[in-house]
This record gives sequence, C-alpha cells and structure tokens, in this order.
Amino acid sequence: MVLPPNVSAADFNAALTEFRSAVGPGWVFSSDEDVALYRDSYSIQWGEPEERVASAAVAPDKVEEVQQIVRTANRYRIPLYPISTGRNLTYGGSAPNMRGSVVVDLKRMNRILEVDEKRAFALVEPGVSYFDLYHYIRERNLKLMLDVPDPGWGSPMGNSLDHGAGYTMAAFRDHFSSHCGMEVVTPDGELIRTGMGAVPNSDTWQDFRYGAGPFVDGLFAQSNFGIVTKMGFWLMPMPEAFLSGTITAPRHSDLEALVAEVSYLEDLALTGMPQYGSPIAQAAFGSGAGAMASLMQNGWPSAEAVEAFVAAQKLPAWSVQLYFYGPEETVRATWQAAKRRFGKAIAGATFQDGEFLTLPIPKEKEPTRSDKPRFGIPALEVFNMVARNARNTNDPPDGHADLFVTIPRKASALWESSRVLYEAHREVGMPGGQTPFSTPFTYYSRCFWTGTTVPTWRDPAKNARSRELFAKVMNRCAEHGWVGYRTNPAFQDLLISKYSFNNNSLLRFQEKLKDGIDPNGIISPGRYGIWPANIRKKRA
Amino acid sequence: MVNRRRVLKIGAATLAGAAMKMPVSGRNLPPGRAHSAFHRAIFDERFAESRCFAAELHGAGVPTSAIRGDVAELWYDDLRVHLRENRLPLVGLTDRAALFCLEELARDVGMRVIFRADHILDKDGDQIGRATARLIGNFDISGHHDPSAQKRTGPFSPENQTALVSWVIA
Repeated sequence: MVLPPNVSAADFNAALTEFRSAVGPGWVFSSDEDVALYRDSYSIQWGEPEERVASAAVAPDKVEEVQQIVRTANRYRIPLYPISTGRNLTYGGSAPNMRGSVVVDLKRMNRILEVDEKRAFALVEPGVSYFDLYHYIRERNLKLMLDVPDPGWGSPMGNSLDHGAGYTMAAFRDHFSSHCGMEVVTPDGELIRTGMGAVPNSDTWQDFRYGAGPFVDGLFAQSNFGIVTKMGFWLMPMPEAFLSGTITAPRHSDLEALVAEVSYLEDLALTGMPQYGSPIAQAAFGSGAGAMASLMQNGWPSAEAVEAFVAAQKLPAWSVQLYFYGPEETVRATWQAAKRRFGKAIAGATFQDGEFLTLPIPKEKEPTRSDKPRFGIPALEVFNMVARNARNTNDPPDGHADLFVTIPRKASALWESSRVLYEAHREVGMPGGQTPFSTPFTYYSRCFWTGTTVPTWRDPAKNARSRELFAKVMNRCAEHGWVGYRTNPAFQDLLISKYSFNNNSLLRFQEKLKDGIDPNGIISPGRYGIWPANIRKKRA
Repeated sequence: MVNRRRVLKIGAATLAGAAMKMPVSGRNLPPGRAHSAFHRAIFDERFAESRCFAAELHGAGVPTSAIRGDVAELWYDDLRVHLRENRLPLVGLTDRAALFCLEELARDVGMRVIFRADHILDKDGDQIGRATARLIGNFDISGHHDPSAQKRTGPFSPENQTALVSWVIA
C-alpha cells in the first residue's frame, strides 16, 4: 500500500475513518485491488517507483460530502486528487498528479441539474458524461446539439477543465470557453459560485458568464485551487442542416492561401472545424510510399525539391474539408461563397460537393455514421482504429502520451514546426512520420496545433525511451516558442518551465495564490507545476 | 472471406496455465451452474471464435450480447443500468479494444477484470472458442482473482493480427 507523503499510517487510517463517516463505508476504497482501478492505463511510468498511484479513493455523492472530505484532508494533510470520470487518457487519466494522493472520485455526483432548450444551456455535476447528457437531450427531443471530444466517454466538466476540445463550431468546440458559471469547493471547504451564481436570487447563472469583479473561473481549469461541483455549458441549437465540401490546392506553396481563406470563414463563424489533408501524404500510405521515402531519404527536403516532387506525383498537395451548419439556404450559400473565394485565391483549386443532411440525424441512422463527433454524438469507435490494422506495429504499445504544441495559424509555422519535430525524432532514433505535407490540428480556431504521440508501455525500458523523446520534442519546440497547451503529469513541471517570461513570474504568481488559498497544499499538489509551499521547499 | 479454419493460437502453456491457476470447480458441471453465475456473455459477431464462444454459453443458459467492436451502446444503454443495481459478473471473448473500453467503464460500477487470457488469431490449428467457453463457464467467481489480469495491456493489436481476449469482469 502507498501512503501519502509525510503522512503517518495512523493519520491516514484516521482520515479514512472520517471519509467513511462522510460518504458511507462502501464508498471509500483502500484495498490494493480497489485502488488499482485508478491506475493510469496509459501511464508512461507503469510499474516504476515514480508511477503516480493513489493511496485510496473516496466517492462522495453530494457537495456537502465533498466539503467534509476537504476539511478532513486539511486536518490530516492528506493530498486529494479530484476526478470526474477519470478518462483523460494520455493526460493522466484517473491517476493522481502526486503519488499517494487520495482520489476524490466524483462519479456519484452525476445529476443533470437543468437543460434549457430555448436558452440553450445545461448545468451538470462532475460525474455526468457526454453520453449521459446526449441521451438526456435525445430522450426529450430537445433541439440542442452537443460538442463532444473523441472518445466521448469523458465528462463535459472534466474535459473543459483540462482545456479539451471538440469538432463543431468554434464557439462550442473550445469546451472551457463555452462554459458559463461554476460552483466550487475551495481548499478550506468553503463553497463558492462564480459569475451570476454569486447572486442568491439570480436566474442568469448560465446566461452571463462574468458577473461583476474578477472573473475567477479560469483559476479552476488545469489547476489545483478547488474542486468544481457544478458547471454550466452553453449548447449549440440544433442546426436545421449540414453540408460538407472539399477543396484541393495543387501546389505545396498554396497552403498559405488555403489557410488564409479557411481562417476567414472560421473567424466569421461560417464553418465548423476544418479538416486539412494532403492527397499526396495520403498516397504515401499506399502506392506512394516509395516516392515519399525517396523524398525524405536525405533528411528534410528543400522547398524546391518539394515542389518538384508535387509536380511529379500528379496529385494535389493539399485539401481541406469544410463543414457548414445551419438552415439549408445558409449552408448552401456559404459553400457557394467559399468556392468563389477559394477559386479566386488559388489557381487550379478544385471543389467537390460533400454530403447534405437535414438534422438531427435519425436515431436509427446514428450507428452507420463514422463521423459521429461532427454531429455532437459521443462515440468510442476511435478505439476500433487501434484494433487490427496494417499500421500497427508487431510490438504494439499499451497506450500513448500526446504532445500538441501551439503554433501560429499560418503555413510557414506549420512547415517549420514539422521540420523541427522530424529532426527531434531522428535525434532520438524514433520514427516520427512528419513530412512537408503534415497537416495541422484545428481544435482551437485561432491557432494551429502540431505535435507528436509517443507510445507508452508496460515495459520500463521502452517507457524510458518514450520519455526521452517526449522531453526532447518539448524542449526543441520550446526553443522556437511553441509550447504545449496541456500534458501528461509526468511532464507538467517541464511544460510549465517553458512559460518562463520574467523569471517564471506567472508560476510565481500562481504559487502565491496557492499558498494563500491552500496553505496545507491538499488539492492536487503539483498539478500544472503548482506545488504547495511545503513541497516546494523540499523540491528546491 | 477466409475459407481456411482459423485458430485461437495461444501458447500451449497459456490457456492451460490459466486453467491451472483458476480454481475451476467441476469441469463437468451441468449447464445450470454457468447460468446462475454470469449476467451476460459478450461476444463480437465479427469473429467466428467469439460467436462459437457465445453459442456455447448460450447453450449453458447464459444470456449473450453481441457487439461489432464498439461497446458504447451495450454499456450505456444496457449493462451499466443493470450493474448499478446488481453487480453480476460479465464474461466475454472480444478483441483488446473492446475489453479495454469495458475495463475502463466497469470502474464506474466498482467492477474489475479478474481473469484474462490473450489469444492471437492465426491461420492454422484447431478452433477453441468452444473450449474457452467451457472453461469460462466453469470459472469460480468466488475463488482467487488474478491481480495481473487488471489493465494488462492497452487497446492495440499487433500488426495485421487480431488479438482476442477471453475475460471475466466482476
């Protein structure tokens, strides 16, 4: 059994006794096999002394129980780690940031408190999953659409508080940005509500986000300043229709113009999440594999070599799929306008009409859709991608850790970052896959993400190599100012060290807040680099 | 479509070893024993071995549920509702991805994988889906649970091979 650091067995057992009194004996888990359920299935430290495993778990059912747990934790200096569904795989999952913490499993707090169809919002508890909210809406035939991540087994609260994102319109796929109002148990066991929730008789808690005075909601995302127990979300009214379309651009250098036009549409909220692609890169997975290997055989090719390569392949260098939501008249008109603009901006651009659908998708047709997240339908089908397929290796990993760095929304940044990633992988001797045709992630509309995925294993030696690569890539990207927006707990200190402006003044500010709000350091010590004072001194 | 008989090819020691570790009580028990032990047998109708497994357990009185890789509908619309009320064991012969998802989801209702045997589909050999079903059908839920069965792998299968898993969640 693992104990919390600097906590005696006697104090730990006393705390567990108080937890049982607060939540009921059946909801405190301290046996080895119970605690093993909270191991991070994708841990990059599996089985090693540094693996972040819990000492116990406690599952409260209501806010008052959370408050009691927090007060007990203060008495005995027990570090707590709250999770909602605990399925944030690649970023730590259900395992705590600090080894020996007690996981506060909020799964029993799974009530959908309110969904207002006309004002288009929902208020939920932490244990409500995307599947739960989706079923609630469909069962009542509410004309609302969710924005979901993929896989969809997480919770709106958990995903948004780690800055997760989805697949539809910009206003909704930035999940934290679409929240409105929180209730939080603070580290001293107090209960606060943010925004208009702080007005006792207000009925605009999920309508107006800011209230008056400082907007503190951001303090509770990717942090350790409290345990969120309720959260409001703005939802998308169900669009009448959906239309997709694909644009191709022939030359490698056309990406600049392609990005500019796509950005115009995104910034005017005329398209959902665009999907960049490269027909040439796609061919490299099949008959074009040899040609791409030849291009890359001497390292990163020059721009001239790339354009010559494109000319020889007789395939467009780039494509982008656009997705339009709204009344039929609007989506068709927007696609026509898009074609006009792209046609003017890119010589030789081609256009292919995609799919037109009236929404919502009938329930009996949902199973046939392979793109469920585009329609706010949560799914687990992404895991089928890692089942039998030709791209798996003969020695498959057990999981992965993702590093996505933020780069400007422009072609030159994408090309440069792809080259840096490619070279970082080569230095460590691991395959990367980056080419001059790598495409960006567009989860957040105002920037691009690019990055890498490293495998994780049940094998410590292999994990050590993965950690080496992960750190190298993070360091190399940071040299260019490209830094991740979230990361696995094993790398959170390294990540936050890159936000070093003015001698890490941002972190120092956060530490002052931490010391004032949580002097005993009981909430998620170390989350995103924020360590309480008692631990900082020992780490210094 | 493969005309040749396919196999659950496993190391000879694997299933036998698993069997030896399991306190199997009464390998020749009548079908009623399995019927009362398990809430559901999960099978993936894409795989002949899995269909055979389900047919065998169905014959022993165990209700079966089919998936085609994706467990979402089965879990959220069916299993979770029942298991919250009554934590009866589940058995299955599925691919790794399906077990991976079910293992993660089962934590919601306080259940875990207590038995697991890994198999790799190969081209030659004898079909043993039926044998696996009989072994599972006589599994003693109250006996020793194998802690190494929990989170043994992730969802990935080896290149161009199907990794099936027989399992018990309780």
